[in-house]
Amino acid sequence: MTNGHPTREEDFDLYALGALEGDEEQAIETHVASCPDCSRRLAEARGRIAMLALIAPPVAPSTNVKARLMKQVRDTAPSAPPSRAAREPERAGGFFGQWWTAVLVPVGIALAITAIVLWTQNRRLDQQLAALRVDMEQQQQQLELARQVADLITARDTMVVPLAPQPGMPRGTAHVMYNQKMGMLMYEGELEPAPSNKSYQLWLVPAQGNPISAGVFSPGNNKTNHFMMKLPEGVTPKAFAVTLEPAGGRPQPTGPKVLVGAAS
Amino acid sequence: MLRFVKGAEGFRRWSIRNVCCRVPLIYRGSQDLVSSESGAELRASDAALIDRIMQRDETALEALYDRYAGMLSSVLNRILRDTQAAEEILQDIFYQLWRRAPEFDASRGSLGGWLMVIARNRAISRLRHHNPAAGEELLENTVSLPFNLESAIAQKQLLGKVKGALEVLSKEQRATVELAYFEGLTHREIAERTGDPLGTVKTRLRTALETLKRVLH
Repeated sequence: MTNGHPTREEDFDLYALGALEGDEEQAIETHVASCPDCSRRLAEARGRIAMLALIAPPVAPSTNVKARLMKQVRDTAPSAPPSRAAREPERAGGFFGQWWTAVLVPVGIALAITAIVLWTQNRRLDQQLAALRVDMEQQQQQLELARQVADLITARDTMVVPLAPQPGMPRGTAHVMYNQKMGMLMYEGELEPAPSNKSYQLWLVPAQGNPISAGVFSPGNNKTNHFMMKLPEGVTPKAFAVTLEPAGGRPQPTGPKVLVGAAS
Repeated sequence: MLRFVKGAEGFRRWSIRNVCCRVPLIYRGSQDLVSSESGAELRASDAALIDRIMQRDETALEALYDRYAGMLSSVLNRILRDTQAAEEILQDIFYQLWRRAPEFDASRGSLGGWLMVIARNRAISRLRHHNPAAGEELLENTVSLPFNLESAIAQKQLLGKVKGALEVLSKEQRATVELAYFEGLTHREIAERTGDPLGTVKTRLRTALETLKRVLH
C-alpha cells in the first residue's frame, strides 16, 4: 500500500473476489471507504469479477419461481378495501305458523344454499384446473423455448453477425445470432418504420442455393424488432440481409437491400 | 402465448407475443411480423424499468426478471448445486428489488452487474451458512460494468469474450479462479484445498486476474 492506496490494480480484483482475508482485506476495506478514486477502481474490479458469472453452465429457473415471485409481490401489496360481506339470509320464522316449519324451512334453505355454493365452487375449481393445465402447458413450452435459446446463446459454434446499413436506405442496425447445426436464428435490431404497404424481410443467403426467408417484420414506433426462427439445419450461410419487400414478404427477395452482413 | 405460425416460405416462426416477458432466462422475447407495444417494454432500459417498479408496475419487474433470471439462476446453481436453494435466493433477490427499488441508484453502476454480484454473495453466504440481513447488499457494492447486458446478443458477445479470456489461462490458473469465484475460497483456503503452497496460489491468482483484465479490455 502506498499512502494507503493499493499498489497494484489486481488488489481490487482480489478483494472483489473475496480471496483476501485478515489484514490484507481490512486494509483495502478501510481505505476504500474514504478514497473516492479507489472506490471507483473497486467498482470496476467488481464489474470484471462479476463477468465470471457468465461461464456458469446455463440453468433456466423453473417457471414456478416467477409465479411465486409475482404472487409474493401481489400478496404484500396494499390490500384492496374488503369486499362487502355476503348478505345474511333472512330468517324464516313464523311463516307457516308451525314449530317444525320453523326448523325445517331454514334447514332446507341452508341445504339449498350449501348445494349451490358447492356446485359453484366445484365449477370454479374445474375452470381453475383447466386454466392451470393450459398455463402449465404454456409454461412447459416456454421453458423448452428458453432452453433452446440458452443452447443457442451458449453454443461455441453460434455466430454473431452484425448487419450494416446500405447507402440510401432507411437507417438502422441489427445483429443476427445463428447456429448452423441447430438451424436456430435470433434477430435483434433497430430500423426506421417501413414505408406503407412494405415490410422488411430477413434472409439467410446460403453459400449455395437461393436465399431462405428468416422472418418478415415491421418495426413500430420504437423501431425495434427481435425474434427467433427455426430454419433448416445444416445450412452454411454466406451472408444475412434485410430487404424491403411488399407487405407480408415474398418467397424470394425482390426489393432493395437495407442491411447486409457477411457471415465469416 | 407461444405461437407457431407459418413464415412466408413455410418455415415455422417462433413467436411469443404479448407474454414474451414470461419466457425465463436471458431471451427477452420477440416482436415478430407485426410490431407490438410489448416490444417497447422488452427493449426498455434497466433504468426505465426500475422507474416503473418504483411506480409499482409489476410488468416492469417481470421484464427485469426475464432479462436476468437466467444468468442469475446459472450462477446460483453453479455455486450451490442445489436447485431449491438457488430458486429461493433467485426469488428473494427480485423480491428485494421490488421492495427496495427506490434505493437503487443507477448512477452507481450496472443493474446486471450488480445483480450478479448480489447473487454470488448470497450463494456464497448460504454455502458458508452465513445469512446477511435480507436485502442489505442492495444498498452496497457499486458495480461498474463496462458492457451492456440488456440485450441477449450483447450477453452472448460478452460470454464469448469471457470464455476467450479464460482460455488464455493455464489449467491451474483457471481452476484457482473458479475455486475463488464459485466456491468463495480465500488464498489460504485454496492452498489448503489444493495442497499447493500459499505463495504459489497467490501468484497464480494474481497472474490470472492480470491476464483476465488485459484480455477483457
